[in-house]
Amino acid sequence: MNEILLSNEVIVYLLSETLLYLLLFIAFLVTLGLLKKWNFNAFTAEQFILENRSYLVMTIIFFVILLKVVLLPYFVYTIDNLSDLIPGAMCGAGVIKANGYGNPLLILKIIILFLSGLWLTVNSIDLGAKNYPYLKLKSWFFVFIFILLSTEFALDILYFTHIETSNPVSCCSVIFGQIGGANGLPFGLDIPKLMILFYLLFLLLVLAILADNALLTIVASILFASISYYAVVYVFGTYIYELPTHQCPFCMLQDHYYYIGYLVWGLLFLGVFFAIDSAIMYYFFKINSKALKKISLILLGLFVLLSSAYIAVYYIKNGVFL
Amino acid sequence: MMIEINSVNKIYNEGTPQAFEALKSIDMHIDEGEAIVLSGVSGSGKSTLLSLIAGLDKPSSGKIIVDGELISKLPDLHASAYRAKTVGVIFQHFNLLESLSVEENVMATLIPSGFDMITIQEMTRKSMALASISHKATTDVKSLSGGEKQRCAIARALVHEPKLILCDEPTANLDRANSLKFIEILHSLHNMGKTIIVATHDPLFESLSFVRRVIHMRDGAIGNE
Repeated sequence: MNEILLSNEVIVYLLSETLLYLLLFIAFLVTLGLLKKWNFNAFTAEQFILENRSYLVMTIIFFVILLKVVLLPYFVYTIDNLSDLIPGAMCGAGVIKANGYGNPLLILKIIILFLSGLWLTVNSIDLGAKNYPYLKLKSWFFVFIFILLSTEFALDILYFTHIETSNPVSCCSVIFGQIGGANGLPFGLDIPKLMILFYLLFLLLVLAILADNALLTIVASILFASISYYAVVYVFGTYIYELPTHQCPFCMLQDHYYYIGYLVWGLLFLGVFFAIDSAIMYYFFKINSKALKKISLILLGLFVLLSSAYIAVYYIKNGVFL
Repeated sequence: MMIEINSVNKIYNEGTPQAFEALKSIDMHIDEGEAIVLSGVSGSGKSTLLSLIAGLDKPSSGKIIVDGELISKLPDLHASAYRAKTVGVIFQHFNLLESLSVEENVMATLIPSGFDMITIQEMTRKSMALASISHKATTDVKSLSGGEKQRCAIARALVHEPKLILCDEPTANLDRANSLKFIEILHSLHNMGKTIIVATHDPLFESLSFVRRVIHMRDGAIGNE
């Protein structure tokens, strides 16, 4: 057995994922039964059993999703810690690239977390009604998420069992293209254009949320999340590291940078999630959740403030930009 | 507060060798403001029926409609809201918080309701007066007699002004004098227009002037009325 599988973090992570997957598998089987036999208008013993089971199974899914929310940062923490074991890796960026499964796994985890959050919203709307109006919708939605979860579980196993500690990997400087002066930004953007786009999209998103324009909120959220990724890696990150050539989404998660990356990425992810969530509630369920919008605006505002603060503080201290 | 019960069955431990059919095809109609007594020996299904009407449990099949609301299918969240708004339950063993005072026990029911403290205190005072327990307001429940505990339980059941009062063997732990006092309170509640269902095997309830019907239950089914 290789060193990776003997690492404490990996053991805890894989055990947790396995247990949660087993619970979700049971929930999946029950959900299939619900989809097949559910008829709210029936007063039969079978329907009453299904109603009791639905409550149980939705509670299981609810708690598993909450645990999965905690497991994503733990996964990132785990791969970051593995950089000590893999030659060439300076942070999680190298470890995630240690084989072909890492990147798809990370992207899939983020997608699943996002969809799971939406499932929680549909679930809470359904439980808020007296006649389970969205039970079939949320059950089908869970079946879809479960397929993704099964893929994720398989990728988890494949990823951790295929990391070679004898093969050197690239460090983040190589991965993100700074060595040799390559530009990693999309659409031919340069840094000033990227910054203008970042603040304009933030403004657009805020206005879309305040104007209750659901479709614009969803589009602006997706655009803002994408541009924010590049802004953090290629601009704000360099001010966090105080080094213009250090462009990495993972190093800021390390203790050397006071784990600030968890806050930066967390604020961005949650802010965008709540914006899209409130828009979906408004567009599909005609629920105008002021609380969700307020949370989203606060989180996104904090994200922009925190990121910008690194540039402002650096400029005040040094009198120049990087 | 009309109650309609159609083809209600309740099976405990369903699908296991210990399965027990507590209620068998119960059909019942109770008018608004009506006081009825469910009588029968222990195990006849009285308490099970009360718990289903109270929304404390769900039937295995069938319909229970209270005031137009389908109780038998209410999700737990709504069942709690239904109980908090509509039903007052008086239990055989009182189910009081022994370390709290009478006033605190009664008040506790209203804390999650969102009323302000002045309203809560006013409703508590009114309810304790109705149950004739105001004089013991600050006394800890553990120091009360059986009859006083019962009156505290009544005050707690009435404090949110429910339209439906359910009593499960309310006089089983009371002497005759306290039982008569309880019946007197029940009578006044009936005069206030409350719908009352009492599950009991106490013969004292069988010939009360305000009780319109005595329904005899046996082995989970309704016998004669």
